Amino acid sequence: MQDRGRLGVLLVAPALAAVLVLFVYPLGYSLVTAFQAKGGGFTFGNFAKAFEFYSVDIGFTLVIIGVSTVLIALASIAIGGYLTLGENPRAVALLRWLYRWPLFIPFVVAAQCMRTFLAKNGLMNNTLVSLGILEVEQTVGFLDWRGIIITFVWKQTPFVALLVAGAMASLDRSTIEAARNLGAGRLRILFEILVPQIMPTLVVGLILSFVTMMSVLSVPLMISGESPTMMTVDMAFRINNYGDYGTANALGFISYLLTAACAWVYLKRAVRQS
Amino acid sequence: MTWIGRGIIFGLLAFIVLGPLANLVLWAAAEQWYFPHKLPVTYGTKFWAQVFKPRGDALVSLVTSVWIALATVAASLALAVPAGYALARLKLPWRTAILLAFLLPQAFPSLAVYINIARLFYDFRLNGTMTGVIMVHTVHGLVFAVWITAAAFAAVDRDLELAARNLGASGVRTFLTVSLPLAAPGIMASAIFVFLESLDEFTGTFFVGVPDVITLPLLMFTASIAGNYQIAAITALVLLVPSVVFMLVIERFLKADVLSKVGA
Amino acid sequence: MKRNLALFAIAAAFVAAPAIAQQTTLNVVTAGDQNMVDYIKDFLAPRFEKTNPKAVVKAVGTGPGDSGSQKIAEKLQAQKGNAAWDVDVAVIHQKMAGDLVREGLLAPYVRDVSTGRLVSSEASKNALGTNVQGYVIPMFQSQTAIAWNPALVKNPPKNYEELAAWAKANPKKFGYNGIKGGMSGVAFVVGWVYANTADADKLMKGPYDANTKAKWDGALGKLKEFNRSVVITPGNAGTLDMLNRGEIAMGPVWVDMFYTWMADGKLPPNMRLQLIGPGMPGQPMYYVIPAKAANMEAAKKFVEMATSPAVQAEGIVKKFNWYPGIDAQHVKSQLDDKTWNKLFVDVTPQELASKGKVFPIKPYFDDILESYERKVLN
Repeated sequence: MQDRGRLGVLLVAPALAAVLVLFVYPLGYSLVTAFQAKGGGFTFGNFAKAFEFYSVDIGFTLVIIGVSTVLIALASIAIGGYLTLGENPRAVALLRWLYRWPLFIPFVVAAQCMRTFLAKNGLMNNTLVSLGILEVEQTVGFLDWRGIIITFVWKQTPFVALLVAGAMASLDRSTIEAARNLGAGRLRILFEILVPQIMPTLVVGLILSFVTMMSVLSVPLMISGESPTMMTVDMAFRINNYGDYGTANALGFISYLLTAACAWVYLKRAVRQS
Repeated sequence: MTWIGRGIIFGLLAFIVLGPLANLVLWAAAEQWYFPHKLPVTYGTKFWAQVFKPRGDALVSLVTSVWIALATVAASLALAVPAGYALARLKLPWRTAILLAFLLPQAFPSLAVYINIARLFYDFRLNGTMTGVIMVHTVHGLVFAVWITAAAFAAVDRDLELAARNLGASGVRTFLTVSLPLAAPGIMASAIFVFLESLDEFTGTFFVGVPDVITLPLLMFTASIAGNYQIAAITALVLLVPSVVFMLVIERFLKADVLSKVGA
Repeated sequence: MKRNLALFAIAAAFVAAPAIAQQTTLNVVTAGDQNMVDYIKDFLAPRFEKTNPKAVVKAVGTGPGDSGSQKIAEKLQAQKGNAAWDVDVAVIHQKMAGDLVREGLLAPYVRDVSTGRLVSSEASKNALGTNVQGYVIPMFQSQTAIAWNPALVKNPPKNYEELAAWAKANPKKFGYNGIKGGMSGVAFVVGWVYANTADADKLMKGPYDANTKAKWDGALGKLKEFNRSVVITPGNAGTLDMLNRGEIAMGPVWVDMFYTWMADGKLPPNMRLQLIGPGMPGQPMYYVIPAKAANMEAAKKFVEMATSPAVQAEGIVKKFNWYPGIDAQHVKSQLDDKTWNKLFVDVTPQELASKGKVFPIKPYFDDILESYERKVLN
């Protein structure tokens, strides 16, 4: 047994080393540098500067990601619900084929699609004008923080919906049948029976999405010109234009704090389950 | 719900899901498109010729991207398969801590980490090199790879392995002839995930690779920022081909039990 | 038999080695938009390789604005300890040029190239307050101006004040890229500060006084108010793109990019330019050679070719619509009148002389950008 234990450690060691050296170490470096002044020494100055310059963006990052997460949750539940409770097999098959498309589109490409789709005279508005729903003067460009939300929801919903639909599919159908027999409507079944049971999977999917969205640079860079935008753009700006690692890492630390609550819940759940 | 109601909802859904993609295809086929025209003014392949011209960047970037992705898959699997097996089958001391370590990259926003990796790589002359980019992609892909391979090995029926041991096969032989082949579909799935993640990776390469290593996503980004939407759309389509192909292939591997263990 | 084969292989290697070794790769790294990379790849590289058959030019772009130049500076700083660096020729903005000269990372090559005596402009000696004479030759001189669409604008504003009033009356019809993503927006902001402070000359010439930035609160407050009625575009190209699609009617652009886009069919041919008062900045970009460039001689030959009157005339002026980097009289003689005058259709030489400004000296430049982030964005 002791042998197998040591064998286990040996097998895990290379992968672990890679993660420690290439993720944990730079992470620690980032946390430390956030508190370092230019000449060395401990300071809160980087944080002061980060707030002085970017407090609007910090707030908006929360808004953007918060709203996106809520919308993703609603959309995933809707899609998962229809796939599980849908009555018309053709409609269900169509939905199953349709909703997965954005899943395999990388964020950069999604941003490029949206850049011209959401513009004031982009395809979306042009279509609405052609259908007579809007006048040309009424068209609104969405190339700002709202466009970031739209892109995030568009891209992440299929991922969470996939997890949710999978979890719903593996549920015991007897509870659903029983409820139907008692005359419950499908919407009620969805929210009172299905959702509570798949809540763990939904929460994992949402947490993963939350962290992913906090890390994305391409989408805000390509969709939103300037403030208000996400903190990732400001961090890249600080590094690329000024080599200002202090402020950039201070912003990084703030982003860790914002994710901390989620990270803690996620890690606790994941470790408990294993 | 009547078919009219369904029609409207599905029409809306189709517009939402496929509209942006259709937009991309239109731009890839367009030669001139300006206000106030709602559709391209002229269609043509002029920009395809420009993108794929011999001295052009697109072919170089494509080769770079694919090369990096393949190397990343090789490195990730080399690290993840033993780790996954150990996590699934063997008794590990400090198992909780190890699991925690593998979860960290999924729990923290990675942008700040990439910024600092780039800075640290400067000291080792790794910044701007293919090796550096491959290393960054590998760690990013390792998270998926370890979890999916662990799930794949865990899903292998223990009885089959025990039967092999009872028949006298050694541990290594059992692994190679029983566990590995049975876990192969799951390992393939993780390989595909890692390949796609590497091909589409933008943020890490933005800090570690620029300006010497230009992958296809970076090329697309540069073209888009410069307003060359035709070139950006064409490059995006090239980037999408592997993704869409694998989407169709991966249907076979996306079994519910493997997926439900992802990130669980 | 095997031994003969081995000997043959060694002999072949000996013969081939010099031939392979003799091929030099010239690494040219440029900041700026894609048009800069295209210029080097499609125009300069073939010319250079024709007259230097053993050389291959490799062009790399680091992106627009200061971040592009910053990337080049980082590359040179990271290799400081090496014997030979992997950048042979670099094209950078003024701000970074000053820094690099002060850090001793550039070679004083101008005295070693024949075209050095063709350049006498202020820009070739002074980069935002730092003396860079002998280290740089301007590649081109560029100028920003306000592009306007005659179909949507009847009377273009003549100065910043009229522009602010126009923007208020026509919300979301003016666009610029802020200070991130491109220098056209930066130029606009600098011009705004020049127009709204008393001592614009001090900002351009010095001396530096750290208390000056406190006097900009009024100007920046007005700019914040102005931003509410305008669109923030994603970059130099973003502004041009939105102008093209009629989403905005006016915006600051680089004159050369404006004409190039028009020639490429990416901008309607009826668009016009207006250089608004009291002035808008322009800037040169510099050819520099790193102090320990691996291929120093080839690098000097490259810059010499690129700054020759013939190449400046054909490439800089005719093809890419920039104002020349070397002194104008050397270039004008190489072109016909029509091509030369094309540069001055909307912005006359007199306007250029009176309203074409330079960027402020570096400490003031940094102050303006920081104050923008603090007061306007936050």
